[in-house]
Amino acid sequence: MIKNLHKLFSSVRLTIFLFLFLAVTSILGTIIPQGLPIERYKALYSSGVFSVLKFFDIFDMYHSLWFLLLLVLLSINITICTSRQIPRIIKLIFPEKKEIDDTVFISSQIRKTFQSQKKLSDIERQSEMLTKSLVGNPVKVKKEDGTCYFFAEKGKYSRLGVIFVHISILLILAGGLIGTILGFNGQMNIVEGNRSDTAILFGGKGTEKLGFDVSCDDFTVEFYETGMPKEYKTDLTIIDDEKKVTSGTIRVNHPFFYKGLKFCQATYGIAGVSDFRIVAKNNVMGEETVLKLNMMKKVSLPDSNASFAIARFVPDHGGSGPAVLGVLLEPEKAHDIFWILKNGRNINQQQRGGFTFTLKDFTKLYYTGIQVSKDPGVPLVWTGFSLIVIGFILSLFFAHKRIWLRISGSQDKYEISIAASVSKNRKTFEEKLEEYLRTASYGFTVE
Amino acid sequence: MDDTFLISIVTFTYFSAAVAFLISIIFRKKSVDKAALVITVVGLTLQTSAIIMRWIHSYKLGIGHAPLSNFYESLVFFSWSIIFVYLIMKRRYQNNLVGILSAFFAFLILSYASLSGDVNCTIQPLIPALQSNWLISHVVSSFLAYACFAIAFGTSILYLFKIKAKVNIVNLLPDATFLDEVTYKMISIGFVLLTLCIITGAAWADRAWGRYWGWDPKETWSLITWLIYGAFLHARLARGWKGVKMSLVSIIGFIAVIFTYLGVNYILSGLHSYL
Repeated sequence: MIKNLHKLFSSVRLTIFLFLFLAVTSILGTIIPQGLPIERYKALYSSGVFSVLKFFDIFDMYHSLWFLLLLVLLSINITICTSRQIPRIIKLIFPEKKEIDDTVFISSQIRKTFQSQKKLSDIERQSEMLTKSLVGNPVKVKKEDGTCYFFAEKGKYSRLGVIFVHISILLILAGGLIGTILGFNGQMNIVEGNRSDTAILFGGKGTEKLGFDVSCDDFTVEFYETGMPKEYKTDLTIIDDEKKVTSGTIRVNHPFFYKGLKFCQATYGIAGVSDFRIVAKNNVMGEETVLKLNMMKKVSLPDSNASFAIARFVPDHGGSGPAVLGVLLEPEKAHDIFWILKNGRNINQQQRGGFTFTLKDFTKLYYTGIQVSKDPGVPLVWTGFSLIVIGFILSLFFAHKRIWLRISGSQDKYEISIAASVSKNRKTFEEKLEEYLRTASYGFTVE
Repeated sequence: MDDTFLISIVTFTYFSAAVAFLISIIFRKKSVDKAALVITVVGLTLQTSAIIMRWIHSYKLGIGHAPLSNFYESLVFFSWSIIFVYLIMKRRYQNNLVGILSAFFAFLILSYASLSGDVNCTIQPLIPALQSNWLISHVVSSFLAYACFAIAFGTSILYLFKIKAKVNIVNLLPDATFLDEVTYKMISIGFVLLTLCIITGAAWADRAWGRYWGWDPKETWSLITWLIYGAFLHARLARGWKGVKMSLVSIIGFIAVIFTYLGVNYILSGLHSYL
């Protein structure tokens, strides 16, 4: 049983199966929106479909138990395959037997044997040149009972590339797991001038107390001439233990860090409006007065016993832009309530009590949406990313090449045996070898 | 001169290159062979100039950024990448059929970019999310990867045609093992580039969106693509799969690439609303 399990987990078939199974199942989560409130799904799907999707945790499938299980299986698979590979690769990099073994001339992938009647010194010199030009490293020579051996090797550490890539996948998966368990990801919306110490976690996972306050000192948004957003910026201050500890600015792509937490500019909105400036024009005298108002605070109108207040603000009144609901209070009369638009349309409606009202200006109070996240798995993930790049460079740009050469026989007839092994591009290597043998005047005769 | 005008010349040049490659295959003439290559190189040079012109132009408009920020620019860079990858691989895999494929793919993509009404070719300023140093490395690695996969897709189709079709034309096609080998090489290089694309994307997302991975549809589809090609490489290297099976995996992989590039934006919604 255990033997069978071990066999299963050490098979590349399982890897291929898991890769393709993960690929196919992952499609689901891109079609079915993830992490919405449960009511939304009830509205989207019929009750039968809903219960099936709910049963398989499809609404948050990438964090479901079965998806995690697949990743764990993959990790076990990679661990076992890699740990089985490591001893073999170590043996290739640091072979136990330093001496050249005659068996390579029988067992290597690439083998050639020649006869030559040239002088031994010539053959040796040419053999050295051959190994140098094909593999490149200095040649090791060993002489034994009249038999001469050459050996050259290059790029043995490229063998580590595959191991690095696989270990890095494990590191990334481990980092992801740590982040899911120990980290959090949420958002805090803070109105300018206010502070907060709580983030609302994504996916309806409740809230998280930060243990300190974040104060939004200022928020600004800039636009290009085309109306496209150019920059969102929040100035914030960290207040820890009622002391201002540090302050900084966050923009999109430029987060701020404090106590292992990362603060990113995510969104913004208008939290409220204040300091309305309303122009009241006296219809008889033509005199214009700018009223400075705040919500539900009444002011008296000049040269009149009436007073005025605003009761409501809407950012867009029926497609005509921002508007306020004005209230005209005259003694002995019912309140007159009417909309005042910013762009000055519907002019007739705004003529009340002998005045014409126009909404001139107001101050917007923004809130900034800051994404707060903590992820202790990140260093592990970055290590994995760096290692995977190193691994790919090693296995893509370098190859492990080995060449052995043996000269045996005696004065009148020497036998030259060549054996070689390359970790990749064997065909190219063989072509190069043939080419070299053809062009160099060895005086070898191919057997 | 406007860079979009230059691109229409390039479109025509790539079409001529494809025709020249076709002629060189049918008539097996060395001179036509050379001409086809020269036309391709001229096309790539012109296209590179167009991209640089657009880059400079954006600075003159005061919104300077690398021309890799919208759909039009991505299509132009995609076709550039295909020709670029072809010219590099040509040094080892001398074959004019792959030349036809590459030039024709590049021609099709550029025609779509120039002629389709959906593609806005004006230079737009960068929205805040795109204002990052990761933009260039992320986009360049992704489109070079897509280009490798596109060529592998082409050679896989040719492989299936060569193996299955019972017509005389298949004699003009290169050896089946050659096609299989090119498919494998292109996918292994594309896989490394796709990995780089995902890594640079993760690094960028970590700064822009606060997390390196968030199962956004575009992210997920890039992973799906990565898994398919990863399965391909394991099947090939560890289990020695070759031939028809591998061609099919390569074709499925390229469908995933297209979906990652376009489908996610047109069909699904997510954070990658720009391309």
